[in-house]
Amino acid sequence: MHINDGILPAPVCIAGYGLTGLATWFSLRQINRTKDPTRGIPRASMLTSAFFVASLIHIPVPPASVHLVLNGLLGCILGYYAFPAILVGLFLQAVMFGHGGFSTLGVNAAMMGIPALVAYYLFRWGDRILPTVRWVRPGLAFVAAAIGVGLAVLIFFGLTVTNLPAEIDAGAERTAIATLVVAHLPAILLEGLFAGMLVAFLDRVKPELLEHNG
Amino acid sequence: MRQLGLNTTPCVAVASLVHQWEPRFKLVGLLGLIVAVANVTDRRLIPVILAIAVAMYALARLPLSFWCDRLRYPGFFLMGMVVALPFLTGKTVVWQWGWLSLRTEGLWAALLITSRFITIFTLGLVLLGTTPFLSLVKAMQQLGLPTLLTDMLLLTYRYLQDLAEHLSKLQRSAQLRGVGKQGTIARLQLLAALSGSLLVQSYDRSEDIYRAMRLRGYGHLRRSAAAPISVDVGSAIGLGLSLLTAGGLIAAEWLLNHVQGNA
Repeated sequence: MHINDGILPAPVCIAGYGLTGLATWFSLRQINRTKDPTRGIPRASMLTSAFFVASLIHIPVPPASVHLVLNGLLGCILGYYAFPAILVGLFLQAVMFGHGGFSTLGVNAAMMGIPALVAYYLFRWGDRILPTVRWVRPGLAFVAAAIGVGLAVLIFFGLTVTNLPAEIDAGAERTAIATLVVAHLPAILLEGLFAGMLVAFLDRVKPELLEHNG
Repeated sequence: MRQLGLNTTPCVAVASLVHQWEPRFKLVGLLGLIVAVANVTDRRLIPVILAIAVAMYALARLPLSFWCDRLRYPGFFLMGMVVALPFLTGKTVVWQWGWLSLRTEGLWAALLITSRFITIFTLGLVLLGTTPFLSLVKAMQQLGLPTLLTDMLLLTYRYLQDLAEHLSKLQRSAQLRGVGKQGTIARLQLLAALSGSLLVQSYDRSEDIYRAMRLRGYGHLRRSAAAPISVDVGSAIGLGLSLLTAGGLIAAEWLLNHVQGNA
């Protein structure tokens, strides 16, 4: 789910870079407030590689198959490192596959990274206030990941449809966005389920991966 | 790695003026051109931006097969949108067959998007095809990209191949045991467990990497100051020409819109 080069006009691309700059600054500021900011770098990098690789897996949803975006899950696990991790991942995808592009790197990073931060806040808030019961963390991960990818889908289609360089009336625009978002509901649900299952696994095997130091 | 579709970075070793262009100057010059091309909305500028793409690619002396090979993946995604656009947007119908109608405005929009995409894609390829990955990261760092980002970029890149191979092995062994053939949910459960194992192993390994990095002085050594920008005349001329072309494109776009607006 990337916006390719050539689709968006320059002002939107520049605004995307502006937003990404702001979100990166905010994330780095939060990271630098921790006791040892360098300690999280190898961890975040290794997990970014792991997420990058995991996002390449096809999941069969008959009659087609989908790739997972994993931005919400990244937020749940990496905390404030999620935004830099997404930026790094998108840059590498542009370099290795030509996926996304240089003019839209800022827009794509903001589109996936800001919902990842929203998912992180939701997951952390729920983890603090809800009782420590077995299903709480997987349930929270399901909601956070679904919201993370759902927001990204909404921004993706909102930006793409409203920035078409041809006449399309406002009613048709709204209908198109709503239809495309509804069509992605199974993928959003799948993303939430995957996040819930993965967090349940981590909660059993390595719960410290879900502690938030960032 | 190859099974999951990962490629190494695409630098092509041939001798050309663009290969010799200092990476920092090249990065700024080509990004300037990319912004100017993204700014084009007037269809009269389509031949101009396509000519820029052809000229830059010829100057970089990159093989045509490289361009075609790299275009396959992003081109596939763009195709879906560009093919649908002439049927979904615009008012002036040029051809109709039952409920299906082809519209002029949609056709022009599809042509504009395709031309902008091809030009920006080609300029990006010129940058990646003529600059080794490490030089590109170093140039970004020297231009002010935060150290945390460049460190993360290099470490992520370093371990991608290992982890991709590791996941392939995990998937293969699960398939050989016949796990996950029951349906979507069972397969999802298997993939979640495989990804979870990958994350746990990555986490454990990152602790070892961190200890090794600390032993080598990471986090204590002072970073060497950014190298002073060497005044390479050829690179400076290249940067000047790119920014001039970018400025010219932006001015032409403004003038064409302004003249059209007044007419």
